Amino acid sequence: MSLLLSSFPETLACAVAEADGAARKRHSGSHMNQPAPMPPPDERQIVDTQLMQQVARGDKQSFAKIYDRFSGPLYATALRIVRDAAEAQDIVHDAFLTVWDKAATFEPKRGSAFAWTVTLVRNRAIDRMRSRQRRAELLAESAPMDLGYQNDITGDDAAASSDAAQAVRAAVSTLPAEQRRALEMAFFGGLTQEQIAQTLREPLGTVKARIRRGLLKLRDALAYRP
Amino acid sequence: MIDERLEELASLYALDLLEGAELAQFETALARDPSLQALVHELRESASALARTAPTAEPPKHLKQRVLASIEARQAAATPATLTKDNKAIRPAFGGWQILPWMAAASFAVLAGWFAQRYSASQAEMTLARDQQALTAVELQSVRNHLEAERIVNQRQIITLSEQVANYTRQIGEAQQKGTATLRELADTQQKLANTTRELAAAQERANGLDRLLSDARAQIAGLSREMQAQSDLANLKITTLASMLNNSPQALAVAVWNPAKQEGVLQVAGLPALGPNEDYQLWVVDPQYPDPVDGGVFTVEATGGTNRVNFKTRQPVREIGAYAITKERKGGVQKSAGPFLLLGK
Repeated sequence: MSLLLSSFPETLACAVAEADGAARKRHSGSHMNQPAPMPPPDERQIVDTQLMQQVARGDKQSFAKIYDRFSGPLYATALRIVRDAAEAQDIVHDAFLTVWDKAATFEPKRGSAFAWTVTLVRNRAIDRMRSRQRRAELLAESAPMDLGYQNDITGDDAAASSDAAQAVRAAVSTLPAEQRRALEMAFFGGLTQEQIAQTLREPLGTVKARIRRGLLKLRDALAYRP
Repeated sequence: MIDERLEELASLYALDLLEGAELAQFETALARDPSLQALVHELRESASALARTAPTAEPPKHLKQRVLASIEARQAAATPATLTKDNKAIRPAFGGWQILPWMAAASFAVLAGWFAQRYSASQAEMTLARDQQALTAVELQSVRNHLEAERIVNQRQIITLSEQVANYTRQIGEAQQKGTATLRELADTQQKLANTTRELAAAQERANGLDRLLSDARAQIAGLSREMQAQSDLANLKITTLASMLNNSPQALAVAVWNPAKQEGVLQVAGLPALGPNEDYQLWVVDPQYPDPVDGGVFTVEATGGTNRVNFKTRQPVREIGAYAITKERKGGVQKSAGPFLLLGK
């Protein structure tokens, strides 16, 4: 193994780290000079943060717990974006390896552990999707029903979902359909503003306003504010 | 206070939808504004929560084993087997009385080590494959970055071209408006030109009328002038009566009227004897400037009455008429008469 390490090019190691870093930078706000006052984390986030700190110290049990807590929604997200089980597994696998490697760089004041891992998975999934140039096909295949927004949460779903998932789904279900659709395409579609507007056949300003209103309502519904 | 525009940019930023100059401007504002940072944090958490809305899909059980095995392999590659991630050596305490169990344990450890070596070898192969995969991913990322850069450049070119097209369209619109205005001006000018042409034709008609009036006036003036000239000529006419100088024809009489301006005259004769077949009467004009009478031409008379009216001109210019004389000469007249004078008048 040490042989492998010594043969592992430093440039490649740096490049991989940079790729992960760049992917994370897109969401982690590393440009911020000073951390802003953030809302107090809830109990779930506190536990996640503690586990992440344990992982940073090399605690594999904590890592396994993090995996158990996050892998479901992360895998579902990856699968929703790339629509390929094998690729979704690779994405989740690589993301968790990054969590293991970079846990020490995680800063709770810049976001929750879950948001960080979601960013890792989403960026990888969107990159893969774009590289395969399957956006058009995926969009054509996708339908609002896919997200389960349109339906009430069934008993089975409720049983299968975590409390957090139920809460988010309930919050999302209160959004107007056009706001839900815009958020869905923005989050899972990996499209630009213009592409979303083109796909929805709406003016760009309308799409931007829908995303703004939808995300602010979701924030209020989930109480992600002081 | 964060306005709607910033809220919109923050929402797009939280979903990775900002690009290019818009992204750079927002990040500059974000770095300066703690309240904006807080908003981005909240929106990013909200956006991440959308992951929980994906259709429920549990990852396969072996994925966890795969992840944990990769962690093990990575940890083994990073440190000796007896070191923790914190690089602290495990230092077990040994007691002499425990030698047998420890020998068994050592044997087990050797056996475990062998299996661990085999496991590590297989993990190393897996890691190598993953590293190759990572290398490929980096290369793909590089290609993606390059394509993204090209896309941005092309997008800017498209924007520039679109602006140029809009500019040209605006210029064409302005030119069309100017053209329309010019056409209107041209139509007005043509209308004015037509009016002017009509006015010019009317003026020309009036001018022609005036010309006609002028011509008439000139004609009248000419007539008057002629009348005045005639009156003047009449005043200058020299009228002379010629009386017979012969006894055989005492009734013979002639009157000569001479116009000195025209150097011509009219001779009216009556009562002259008839001429023979080879004879002519010849008129002579006596001018003091010449030594001899000047030839005034030949003429005949009616056989009955001896009358005639003759227009005559002198052979030489006459300044002053001293007298007229008429002689009978051979047919055609002579240059110098030998006489005698039949009629004579002063």
